[in-house]
Amino acid sequence: MTCGNRLALHHLLAVLLVAAAGAGAFASPVTARPESWGVEQLMRSLGQVKSARGRFVERKHLAILDAPLELSGTLVYTAPGRLEKHTLRPKEESLVLERDTLTVSTGGQRRTLVLQDYPVVWAFVESIRSTLAGDLQTLNRFYEVALEGTEAQWHLLLKPSAPKMQSVVSEIRIGGSRNWISTIEILETEGDRSVMTVSRDAS
Amino acid sequence: MNVSKGWVLGAWFAFLLACVVVVVRTDFTADLSAFLPRSPTPAQEILVEQLRSGAVSRLILVGIEGGATDALAEVSKRLAASLRRQELFALIANGEDAVSDMDRDFLWRNRYLLSPAVTPGRYSVQALRERLEANLHLLGSPVGMFVRRVLPNDPTGEFMALVERLQGASRPAMQHGVWFSRDGQRALLIAQTRAAGGDIDAQQRALAVIRGAFAEAAGDRTASLLVSGPGVFSVHSRERIKNDAWRFALIATALVAGLLLALYRSPRVLGLGLLPVASGALAGVAAVSLGFGAVHGITLGFGVTLLGEGVDYAIYLFTQSTPATAPHRTLERIWPTLRLGVLTSICGFSAMLLSDFTGLAQLGLFSISGLIVAVIVTRAVLPVLLPPGFSTPAADAFGPGVVSLARRAPLLRLPLLAIVALAAVYLTLRGGSLWSDDLARLSPVPARDQLLDQQLRRDVGAPDVRYVVVADSKEEQDALEASENLSAALERSVRQGWLEGYESPSSFLPSVRTQRARQAALPAAETLRENLHQALSGLPFRPNLFDPFLKDVAAAKEVPPLDRASLEGTGLAMRLDSLLVKRANSWTAMLPLRGVSDTGGVTREIGAVREGHVALLDVKRESNALYHTYRREALAYSLLGAGAIVVLLFASLRSPRRVFDVLAPLAAAVIVVTAVLVASGQELSIFHLVGLLLVVAVGSNYSLFFDRQMPSVQDRQRTVVSLLFANMSTIIGFGVLSFSEVPVLNAIGTTVGLGAIMALVFAAILSRREEVG
Repeated sequence: MTCGNRLALHHLLAVLLVAAAGAGAFASPVTARPESWGVEQLMRSLGQVKSARGRFVERKHLAILDAPLELSGTLVYTAPGRLEKHTLRPKEESLVLERDTLTVSTGGQRRTLVLQDYPVVWAFVESIRSTLAGDLQTLNRFYEVALEGTEAQWHLLLKPSAPKMQSVVSEIRIGGSRNWISTIEILETEGDRSVMTVSRDAS
Repeated sequence: MNVSKGWVLGAWFAFLLACVVVVVRTDFTADLSAFLPRSPTPAQEILVEQLRSGAVSRLILVGIEGGATDALAEVSKRLAASLRRQELFALIANGEDAVSDMDRDFLWRNRYLLSPAVTPGRYSVQALRERLEANLHLLGSPVGMFVRRVLPNDPTGEFMALVERLQGASRPAMQHGVWFSRDGQRALLIAQTRAAGGDIDAQQRALAVIRGAFAEAAGDRTASLLVSGPGVFSVHSRERIKNDAWRFALIATALVAGLLLALYRSPRVLGLGLLPVASGALAGVAAVSLGFGAVHGITLGFGVTLLGEGVDYAIYLFTQSTPATAPHRTLERIWPTLRLGVLTSICGFSAMLLSDFTGLAQLGLFSISGLIVAVIVTRAVLPVLLPPGFSTPAADAFGPGVVSLARRAPLLRLPLLAIVALAAVYLTLRGGSLWSDDLARLSPVPARDQLLDQQLRRDVGAPDVRYVVVADSKEEQDALEASENLSAALERSVRQGWLEGYESPSSFLPSVRTQRARQAALPAAETLRENLHQALSGLPFRPNLFDPFLKDVAAAKEVPPLDRASLEGTGLAMRLDSLLVKRANSWTAMLPLRGVSDTGGVTREIGAVREGHVALLDVKRESNALYHTYRREALAYSLLGAGAIVVLLFASLRSPRRVFDVLAPLAAAVIVVTAVLVASGQELSIFHLVGLLLVVAVGSNYSLFFDRQMPSVQDRQRTVVSLLFANMSTIIGFGVLSFSEVPVLNAIGTTVGLGAIMALVFAAILSRREEVG
């Protein structure tokens, strides 16, 4: 009975962006070799990636289900701001993020959202897009950013700074190696969790 | 003599005092619906009610512009927060939370009674299985988080469907969490007052509160406030009419006073000259206040026009007095003519008195009582107050020149005939109606304000309320059932592409019959448990996850049906109240339509609905039709008034030829003025008609005096000069009005100003009275 009445539409759309955000930044031969390695160096090397493709597998661990939900499909990134997530299983669905709009297509239906209309969604989008683009400034606007690990295996920890976002998500963890993002983990405030792993697309 | 003097003055003072007492307690309104009729058709009656007090009339549209987007959004949020604390407003919306927590809670608790999807087949094993599989897919998709929270209670998704429907199809664009215009230049906010749009004092308070709250919310940010809406228009119109009425009254008074001073060179005479008018105006306002309960601002503005004719009486007396005769002798001499002139005017104004147009009827009563008092004061009070041996040098100075002009005027008969013939031919051959039936032209709201209103309305996506489907029924439940059937018909019309959308009272409160039907469609607890059990087999949902659903359905099956009181405190209640209205003997459901492209199709679809009295109302067409009826009626009354004038003249003058002599200049003036107005591009409104009536009323005095037998050349001179002075004061009074931007005042001012000159000149030209001596 407590549910439902507090949810605005943009909260639910936020989730959609978590999914959209689960895109990898993918291969590039360029590797920076700075004197000392930190967030700024990581961002610079990520920012040099111009385009990438990958396959993803996403597992959602939900309290209401006995077994996790598993989704898989492909991800395509084109610098500086276009991201596509095509879910192939269990059902086809595609999300396309371009500049400040997000287009969702399911079973012939298509809906376009303007990010500015949905601040929480926008925060989600930027968690991934800014990471992919190496845009630390934007990232800092929405999150407290922390970095763990080494250049070969790092974890970017993002804690939302806006209260609305905090009520939905407690933390986003992006893991990777050099300029490749390999995992995106989203921890929700109510204990549900989703983990996406990204592998290089052989094709 | 002194005793009777005392009595006269005493009675006069007592009368004025009584008038003042009445006037002081008078309510002044500027309600535009005073210019709507009292006895229209049922559909029009609803329309008028809506314009006066309906939800639409209570809407105030607010725009905030002139700053950076984030600053404007911040101002919008602060403004909304501050206005929400005010008792004056039933609703403040700026996009922050389109559906309030209370509304959400209401929808959540009553979803099984409110959702149209609740039908018998919805809870079969197969249907449940389909919904569960769809939900499983949704959990993995963008809306997963939302679905996750409501799923245990609402696996069939009734709540989400209700919220989506309520948020509506047309919503303004959003930026920084609040509504913005498409171009992002303007933050938008809607306020709905509790008070009716016709309650101008309340609207004025609401407006002041909005302005104050905005100043506070804006602080030192650069942002400017725009407000629009029916209430705003009423407030501004009242201001403008009040201002114009006062300003023009003052200007005209000053000018007429200047004229009198120049002519009579005596402040005392000046004061005396204004006495009849002032007494008349006071009595007029008092009479309207007693007769109608309130005085319309426009009626007040009309006080100026009374100046035009009322001052004439004093001028006739002053100018025609000679040192040799006492004022009361002069009066006895001119009284028959003066009396006939006043009676003629009263005949003319009676036509207005009969009008269904409250505004016009007020003008009629105001003028009649004002003129009667003015002429009585001239007759009874002025002679008492005039110094003995009073005479004006002006008459002697101007006399010879004016008379010689008047004597030569008949030479212009042929040219005048030609002009009148030309005007008549022009009016006949011009084709098309002379009259404008567009009510908007009468609106005292300036075009730029109307434009701003349209822009804000478009930005906000507020319905333009041109088309409304109306169903009238004896009982509340019948009205709700009618609106359910109408909704179904409109749903079909939407699918046909005849309209984009609609609102219906039954979305917020379904009829008891429908609620019962939905309860009956919900399966018994055991059946539902068994169906759900079968539907869940093989799906990964946690065991007992849906127990809350079973509990909620069982409860929904037993609850008493919702009524109006169940919605109390929610925003939905207000929306329901604006769509379902209790009237004197019936209930009216209103379903405003959005984006209508085929009225014929919609009319056919709703034609099949049998409950209640159903009609598709085209607000614009109805209001114009209303006005059309009105104008025809006013025209009929005017003709009746003109007929009464003719009868009166026959009875007094007892000579068809003299009646003709008196009427010919007036008829010529009316024809030529009409032609001039039309040729100058004016579309004639009901107010021009009133103006023409006034031309006849005022002008009849001129031709009556011209027609009068004169004992001497001096008398003739004094008479003609008095007519000239009277005419000048009339032209000043009305001419000043023609500078007003309020259409009513402007139309009357222009028409009478022009007409008065013509009536005098034409009377001189057509006069057949040979000079004596």
